[in-house]
Amino acid sequence: MPAAADCPLDLGRGTGWVVFSERAIVAFRPEPLRIEVGQPFSLLLNVCTRRNNPAELVAVDAQMPEHRHGMNYRPTIVSAGEGRFRAEGLVFHMPGRWELDIDVRAGSETERLSHEIIVK
Amino acid sequence: MSRWSVFLLVVTLLLGAGTEGWANLQWSQDEIRAIGAHGPWPPPATVEPSNRVSGDRAAVALGERLFNDTRLSGDGTMSCASCHQVDHGWSDGRARARGRAELDRRTPSLWNVGQSHWFGWDGAADSLWAQSLRPIVDPLEMASDSGRVAALLRGDPTLGCFYRRAFGTAPGSDDEALLVDAAKALAAFQETLVSPRTPFDEFRDALVAGDRAAAARYPDAAQRGLKIFIGAGNCNACHFGPRFTNGEFGDVGIPFFVRPGEVDSGRLGGLAKLMASPYNRLGAYNDDKSGASSLRTRHVQRLHANFGEFRVPGLRQLRDAGPYMHNGHLPTLRDVVRHYSEVSPDRLHSDGVPLVRPLGLSADDQADLVAFLRSLAADPPPRQSPPTECRAG
Repeated sequence: MPAAADCPLDLGRGTGWVVFSERAIVAFRPEPLRIEVGQPFSLLLNVCTRRNNPAELVAVDAQMPEHRHGMNYRPTIVSAGEGRFRAEGLVFHMPGRWELDIDVRAGSETERLSHEIIVK
Repeated sequence: MSRWSVFLLVVTLLLGAGTEGWANLQWSQDEIRAIGAHGPWPPPATVEPSNRVSGDRAAVALGERLFNDTRLSGDGTMSCASCHQVDHGWSDGRARARGRAELDRRTPSLWNVGQSHWFGWDGAADSLWAQSLRPIVDPLEMASDSGRVAALLRGDPTLGCFYRRAFGTAPGSDDEALLVDAAKALAAFQETLVSPRTPFDEFRDALVAGDRAAAARYPDAAQRGLKIFIGAGNCNACHFGPRFTNGEFGDVGIPFFVRPGEVDSGRLGGLAKLMASPYNRLGAYNDDKSGASSLRTRHVQRLHANFGEFRVPGLRQLRDAGPYMHNGHLPTLRDVVRHYSEVSPDRLHSDGVPLVRPLGLSADDQADLVAFLRSLAADPPPRQSPPTECRAG
């Protein structure tokens, strides 16, 4: 079983977000660090169980809850192993409040963790 | 100072908290930030990686010659400039474009087209060179073919000379490749069509820099219209950034029936054409082999909601560019503003908080919004004549 250090919350560069549930913890940050309206960006994610074991990233998506529309682009996910992932091809095409949805599988359970991001 | 004077001073200070008094209007820090996002202008020149002659002076010269050359069309009567006329803001002043027949959509302006990422009203092209190629071979437009374009490049000494300077070799034997190269030269020329600075840009820069005197020169009506644009109108949700467009697509309630029983599906059909095109960024003609410039094309998704959506146009140089909307449905800027003031929510089928809703603007508000939109235009400097001679370098 991988040691806790295999699933660090620190993504480097001293910034990023952490979301968690009873079963999973996800640390992530955008690349480039500043999300600009209409500009493609990626997410670097470390996906862990609460016991600090690597977990699986199933999907990443985003929507604007007020307007009930999603992105015009579908991100793809590439695994770097040991709970590390890169989601590529996200575009927030309007300013405002976006809800980022991160679907994670830990063991046999899949759950959705969400995080709000406001872009101006 | 009397008690009453002190009270008035306190009230004034409290009301002004968090705002800046520019000219005759108050602007909050959030508003200044929103206005600042519409600049600076012009943006720095960039090179388009899918086009190996983007930014090349010889390619610009070749592209401008081709742009004005009627021999590019099947019967030798039409050039790109037949519809994209410099005196009509690189459009034609018509509600619907006219090729071999009247088409279903308006001729889009070419101002600032080099900064787009989707092209055509339906985004059926993902590069300016792919978009430039489409009307050349469209039977309803210039009705030409790769053989005719290739023969022109091989047979005309001046065009051949400019081609050699731009691409580094003489025009080759592959007709299809020469057609794409001609389109890339056309794109290199169109990338130079950057609109001039405007009264809005002077105001925006003054506001961001804290120059009260310069900011005060921007007309009050335009300032009031700008306040609606970034405030109650929420226009900058889609008309975002220095070009006043997020480059994406929307359904703003314009009728999409082109004739009885036939609709223009807009972005939905555009995405199907994009993916079927051999000239998209995923194909062999993309000069960027890193794949970085094809990211949007790889990830774009085709959604039911794309039906009836059309590209959000930039708003610079709109002043004299009517008729407006993708099909020329609205003759004047006043009609455009009235449309957004009175648009039917039933037509738009929005589930959540609608991005487009009837704004219910007063006549004065509508006039202010028009004044603001007109301030996004300025007279461009006279164009320099393209080089007529080519000296092989």
